[in-house]
Amino acid sequence: MSVTSSIRRASLVRQGTLLFVLLLIYAFLLVPVAIVVLTSFTGQTFPAIPYDGISLQWYTELLTDSQLLGALVTSFIVATAASLLAVAFGTAAAVGFVRAEFPYKQQLSTVMLLPMIISPVITGIALIRYFGMVNVSSGYPALIVGHSILTVPYVFLLVRSQLVTFDEDLEQASRVLGADSTVTFLNVTAPIISPALLAGFFVAFVVSFGEFTATQFLISPGSSTVPVEIYTMLRTGLTPTINALSTVLVVIMVVAALLSRYFER
Amino acid sequence: MSVVVERSPIPNWLTERISNRHLVAIGIGWVTLFFVFPILFLVVESLNFGDGSLFEAYHRATGGVYVSAFVRSFIYGFVTTVLTLVFAYVLAYYLAFASKRVRLLLTLVVVPLWIAYIIRYFGLMLFFSPTGPLAQVTGLEIDLLFTSTAVVLGLTNAYLPFAVLPIYNSLNAIHHETINASRVLGAGQFRTIREVVLPLSMPGIIAAGVIVFILATGSFLGPAVLGGPNQSMIANEIARTFLEAYNIQLASALAVIYTVLLVAFIAAFNAVFNLQEALGNL
Repeated sequence: MSVTSSIRRASLVRQGTLLFVLLLIYAFLLVPVAIVVLTSFTGQTFPAIPYDGISLQWYTELLTDSQLLGALVTSFIVATAASLLAVAFGTAAAVGFVRAEFPYKQQLSTVMLLPMIISPVITGIALIRYFGMVNVSSGYPALIVGHSILTVPYVFLLVRSQLVTFDEDLEQASRVLGADSTVTFLNVTAPIISPALLAGFFVAFVVSFGEFTATQFLISPGSSTVPVEIYTMLRTGLTPTINALSTVLVVIMVVAALLSRYFER
Repeated sequence: MSVVVERSPIPNWLTERISNRHLVAIGIGWVTLFFVFPILFLVVESLNFGDGSLFEAYHRATGGVYVSAFVRSFIYGFVTTVLTLVFAYVLAYYLAFASKRVRLLLTLVVVPLWIAYIIRYFGLMLFFSPTGPLAQVTGLEIDLLFTSTAVVLGLTNAYLPFAVLPIYNSLNAIHHETINASRVLGAGQFRTIREVVLPLSMPGIIAAGVIVFILATGSFLGPAVLGGPNQSMIANEIARTFLEAYNIQLASALAVIYTVLLVAFIAAFNAVFNLQEALGNL
């Protein structure tokens, strides 16, 4: 055998190994979620691969469970309200940080990111104790304010990165042509940055909808969210209802994430 | 051509006064009011103002079961970080230099971030369980659930996407001429990787490592879903102390100790690591 062909074979083997390793890593990342979705269609009473045909019985089960439907409604309300707050405060900070120069700017902008870094368990107990002190009740008020804090770093990072490419000459032109600052904001600034705001809203929505760890401290009886329900069910025993509820959650989160990516840049 | 100038409902004296600095203050103010203050308030909650030592809870927090939870958190965090960096580097290297479908493959890495942690851990739980679908399909005797291996693999799964992006960005910034120069000058592929590519991608590796370490050591759900009582990490101990033992002072003391350790850790990397840039990759 010639030298070149053996080198080529060695390189082929190496490439084959690399591709196999890559495949394993992707499988490791994606298969667990696929399994959750797939086994939600089982006809059996525990999560199993539905070899013997697809059954929707666990989804009908879901539709008749008023507690789980209530959790879906709560998650929707909390995620929507918290994301609106996060967009308002995250955008304000992002615009300010991009345009203003002031001392300790870098350090101050790190403050906006702290909620991503501190363990959500600590955020959860800190918030519920503090809310107790300042008379914010657990349930919706605590959940909405708490989730606005947990999601605001994502909005801040996203809107800031989109604003860096903003051409401030357009605003100057508007002012020179006689518009005041409000009119300029409404007719020039807002239309240009609104896709970034929508992207930020949906990112916050995804984060809020899936949050469990801090949320478990903030709920009250009657305002449980979907991840909390899933966790509670996991503790009491495996039934495919958990898979059906998880699949619904996956669909909602992926749709929101795709919307976010659509509006980004 | 006519220019329509609408009168706005917001009075001029107000808009003229909202400067960019005010906008910063509004954002920082919200986070301060509902995050920084609550965290600082935990310090007050951790102190004992009754009989006995002011730092009573800290004495308890630095003994027995809590120390082992701290140590376990840092060990799991470290092993997770190493595993994650290895997987992420292989993936990012392929995406940066060898792949033609970069957009699709990068999206597939990011997709898990769109899905709630609880569902991803639930999927792994089914995977590791002896009666789960994987055991069902392969006929293998899998019994990983409630072991340290399950928890570390779970954490690796959860935080891998966070590591791929910074490493990919740093690899992508390397000029191909640099690599070609190394090859032309006689270095083989592995030597080029070791002496050229690896050092040039170090900022991405450090950023990824620090982020994964921070997130992994603070994880609650991973050990709660995939581990047993012997896999309890510090976040689990804090939650248990708060929710079950209802000892707020002790839970606060544990939270304060953990946060201080974490801040010290980030500060130690401050010279070579920029939190802003690292998180900006996401």
